[in-house]
Amino acid sequence: MLKRTLVANRGEIACRILRACREAGIEGVAIFAGNDSGTLFTELADIAVELEGDGLAETYLNQEQILQIAIENDCDSIHPGFGFLSERADFAQAVIDSGLIWIGPSPEAITKMGDKMTARITMKDAGVPVIPGEEVDGGLQEVLDVAPSVGYPLLLKATAGGGGKGMRAVHKQEDLESEAKAAMREALNAFGDDRIYVERLLTGSRHIEIQVLADKYGHTIHLGERECSIQRRHQKVFEESPSVALDSELREAMGEAACDAARAVDYEGAGTVEFLLSPKGEFFFLEMNTRIQVEHPVTEMVTGVDLVREQLRIAGGEPMSCGALSMRGHAIEVRLYAEDPANNFLPAIGELKRFIAPTGPGVRLDTGVREGDAVTPDYDPMLAKLIVWAPSRQEALQRMGRALDEFVVLGCTTNVRFLRELCNHPDVVDGWTTTDMIERLWPDGWSPDRGGKILDSGLLIATACESTNHGKTVMLSGDSSPSLSPFSTINRRFP
Amino acid sequence: MMEFKTSEGRIEINPTRDGASFIHEGLIVHTGENLWLEIDGRKHKAVATKVGDVWWVHVLGHTLQFEVVEPGVSSSDDEGGLTAPMPGKILEVHVSVGQTVSSGDVLMVMEAMKMEHKIVAGSDGVVETILFKEGDQVPQGAELLTISE
Repeated sequence: MLKRTLVANRGEIACRILRACREAGIEGVAIFAGNDSGTLFTELADIAVELEGDGLAETYLNQEQILQIAIENDCDSIHPGFGFLSERADFAQAVIDSGLIWIGPSPEAITKMGDKMTARITMKDAGVPVIPGEEVDGGLQEVLDVAPSVGYPLLLKATAGGGGKGMRAVHKQEDLESEAKAAMREALNAFGDDRIYVERLLTGSRHIEIQVLADKYGHTIHLGERECSIQRRHQKVFEESPSVALDSELREAMGEAACDAARAVDYEGAGTVEFLLSPKGEFFFLEMNTRIQVEHPVTEMVTGVDLVREQLRIAGGEPMSCGALSMRGHAIEVRLYAEDPANNFLPAIGELKRFIAPTGPGVRLDTGVREGDAVTPDYDPMLAKLIVWAPSRQEALQRMGRALDEFVVLGCTTNVRFLRELCNHPDVVDGWTTTDMIERLWPDGWSPDRGGKILDSGLLIATACESTNHGKTVMLSGDSSPSLSPFSTINRRFP
Repeated sequence: MMEFKTSEGRIEINPTRDGASFIHEGLIVHTGENLWLEIDGRKHKAVATKVGDVWWVHVLGHTLQFEVVEPGVSSSDDEGGLTAPMPGKILEVHVSVGQTVSSGDVLMVMEAMKMEHKIVAGSDGVVETILFKEGDQVPQGAELLTISE
């Protein structure tokens, strides 16, 4: 049983983990950079310690400083969240060497899965199907040499990579060299490692991932799938469970393959095995994420399992508390990003002058921001995850549409309208979701459907407000309270 | 009469005012403690706030922006320049002064938020000035280069 956990992360996921700690009776220690002072996650911790230094390398990626804070504050464990140090085997090892518990899989498992090439080879050996492609040792010339044998279209991926960084789709030979250079540069900046590899780009495929849990007592189970096909810039924006493409037979086959993948590296804790599912129903191993994932809530909603709580339980040496898989209803998550979907999804910044999140039955909001917070270019532009649960997929889409209609974010451009229109799009409604669908549906870019009287209505409202000073000085007027959903106000005091 | 800059260009509007209500082409907006839009007898809650000169409006599930144009300001638009969509670093400059470019050409590549972004010509023209070089840090909204038509 853990007693005091340091959360080596920030924002939304730090909030999620700190709340789980509070519920489990574990004291939570937050660390924060100076520019995160006063943000939500620092208030949810029992102890919050400011990191010295500027920039990611000196703060959230500063292993020595984080370990020192953990030791000075008598922590017995470190939860890395996702991103940052979560897939750094050297950090996991340093945590263990300091006598602390690493809430995650062993450094060996992280290493094997983190290096995408080693992972491919390990999976091949374990009998898990992998995408046709070439493992190369890096180096531009070698990439150029092997590309023709892989064939076009192909995908360049960072060997150390993830999160769409260092990933480039190449459709013809003449683009290969410039795209390879760009991919290597991005990979070097993001991961400090410019090695890339070449894989066949399977068009029309779905991104299906299987959640797994493994404890120290020999139990390795899967918790069904998440479909995360709808992506822009190779980053997911819309995730759901279950997937319309899986029947119970395919679910069992993919679930078993995911468990095999986990067992092949003696996996422990929560992890996700990602697959591409081809239109013909063949599935191929993509990668294993050796951490909690952004989209874990959809699995929690349909299985009733609290994944972060299970992570804490397993790391503390207890057996997992969940048994046989039972999935109920349908859950969808959308990622609210500070970005302009009408301008190639470019990140946006600004102040969240108004931030009124939807509530109501079956609605969950995981966020680290509040009204009045500034959105800066310092960190990832994801503001919140909105998750809904409903008895059926159709009702879940309707509920998500309703919730997104209610979501007010003023002062910073977001993708909320884009997400809203996805919920009504015939391809989404009918379940024709594939990884290339955003490019396929909006080859020249997306723009909002402002039919009817939308623009005129807005114009009249702006005129009325300008003429009467409504909303100019009064931030919180009338009945619109600034509070978020009940999920995000659990630890706040009310008068 | 009021004039706004919108994503669809400049728009003038001249609604009828009745106390705290504003009427325009079948639409009614009620101001006061709360903001309501009335269409065909149905009321819809709206939220609006002003940031600088820009009104941000949320209504009917849409978020819109309207920049107030002060009366008397000339309506010649300040377009023709290409600006940094966010703070970042210039990675590549693909053009030189005097070069003819076509709409869609990649002019610069910049890095921001750990991703690479292409700065693309919005129209045909000739590169007039280039204001930054490779490696330069640029603030959001900075003019990067100019193109004459």
